Amino acid sequence: MFHLKMKKFAIIGLFFLLSAFIMQGSLFTVPENFPPPIYDFSKNQLTESKILIGRMLFYDPILSKDNTISCENCHSPFSAFTHIDHALSHGIHDSIGTRNSPALMNLAWQQTFMWDGAVNNLDMQALAPIAHPAEMGSNIKEVVEKLNASSKYRPLFYTAYKDSIITGENVLKSISQFMLTLVSANSKYDKVMLNKAKFTEKEANGYLLFKRKCASCHTEPLFTNGQFENNGLPIDSFLKDIGRMKITTRANDSLKFKVPSLRNIEFSYPYMHDGRFKNLSEVLNHYSHGIHQSRTLSSELKNGITLSANEKVDIINFLLTLSDKAFVFNPKFQYPK
Amino acid sequence: MKKEFLYIFLISFSLNTFSQNGIKIDFRVAIKDIPIVLNDSTYLLDNAKTVHFTTLKFYMSSLMFLHDDKIVFTEPNSFHLIDLSDTNSQNILLKFSKAFSYNKIRFNIGIDSITNVSGARGGDLDPTKGMYWTWNSGYINCKIEGDYGLDTNPKQNFEFHLGGYQYPFSALQTVELSLKNTSNISLILDLNKFFEQLDLSKQKNILSPCMQAVNFSQQLIKCFILK
Repeated sequence: MFHLKMKKFAIIGLFFLLSAFIMQGSLFTVPENFPPPIYDFSKNQLTESKILIGRMLFYDPILSKDNTISCENCHSPFSAFTHIDHALSHGIHDSIGTRNSPALMNLAWQQTFMWDGAVNNLDMQALAPIAHPAEMGSNIKEVVEKLNASSKYRPLFYTAYKDSIITGENVLKSISQFMLTLVSANSKYDKVMLNKAKFTEKEANGYLLFKRKCASCHTEPLFTNGQFENNGLPIDSFLKDIGRMKITTRANDSLKFKVPSLRNIEFSYPYMHDGRFKNLSEVLNHYSHGIHQSRTLSSELKNGITLSANEKVDIINFLLTLSDKAFVFNPKFQYPK
Repeated sequence: MKKEFLYIFLISFSLNTFSQNGIKIDFRVAIKDIPIVLNDSTYLLDNAKTVHFTTLKFYMSSLMFLHDDKIVFTEPNSFHLIDLSDTNSQNILLKFSKAFSYNKIRFNIGIDSITNVSGARGGDLDPTKGMYWTWNSGYINCKIEGDYGLDTNPKQNFEFHLGGYQYPFSALQTVELSLKNTSNISLILDLNKFFEQLDLSKQKNILSPCMQAVNFSQQLIKCFILK
């Protein structure tokens, strides 16, 4: 009798484990041509209700001091979750930040966050804009207090976390859950890699050039090596941004910024950490004849990148194959109705 | 005869386990013998300077007991935020099922590097506790804020946020103290020594991981004493 009961429990337990696994699978799938993710999903298992809370918070200005700025203000889905036409991010009281808001995608594969790698785990990322005086100007304690007073959020958190009190941990984990679902792997490039489409002649030539001249930093399939590099931009005399060195205090990190992914680059202009380049031609012109020499300059760029006018056209043609319309228009990522 | 032995054994065994399966640790922060109260008194240091406190909190973690240098008890999930503005946080009650004897207590002041990179945590580690840097990921191991001066009305503001988990600025420190087997441990952090060594005209603020934060953290742990 006892054994039978145990067996029953074991079977039920197994069933729950299995169903949790299947659920996770359908909520987050590793694309065929991607490496395994870096984010530790075992500490924050995805569920539909937690992702929805994250999505609601993402679009809710309740995260800011005066309830005016949401994440979406600087990370809008149609621009691959960045702020197009604005070189620098905007915040409460019309304040302007010091950096170009990065596009958000494939965050489960990212080791560090922010242009200078200041944030070491996706869960902790939201703390930075929430607290920054030129962004949301609040703090996580204040946000959690507001959420606990909200008749909209309390039942949602209760359903998702079985806890009648909303905690900072669960707010951050929910935001992570939504962020993790922002996977972009459905571009023409991906289809070509999986033999489901073919590059045009220009795209194919652009791809060859790209692999020779750009891929050491913008490594496939994520189109970033996740490292910090000085890509030869002269320092902005007003912003005086030293990049990674601010975090590590090491002189060797001066003027280094995180190599951004090039996926969806068509939608995420302007470019660079301070948004100084408006279009891709300006970017390629910088690499071919605009490199500013300095001590920490990336060794690959010492002599610039030699590119003819035609080669630039081909590379741009290739870069446009990294656009993923299914990603930017995915209804699951839009404002929750 | 045999039976009586058995009874005596059982009684002594049960008494032993009942008396031993809890240890109370009580934290006090003081200047010499005077317990510190936030936003209240001004304290006179041995170097004739004065100090007044507005914030004083720190993490104690990885608590364990040793007997002749062998670990006999390790507290699971051991993270405690000791906050002077919350008297409950100054008492820690450890419970365990199996009694042990010990002659040393060991704990960390601060948060280990793995926990620092493992994402959002709850309880005392919840970032709403105000002990997490938002602009540069990592826990603040210890916050001491207040005013410093020469008379009863100290005016020179200071803020020490000691933390950092990455080489070469790892501020985590381990404290080890010898003591007798007891179920009531009274730990005192006497900041007199800490402030005596500081030149606050030169160093008023530490707000990021740096060498100074490491040095200050090393000084801080020398101030723990058992009563």
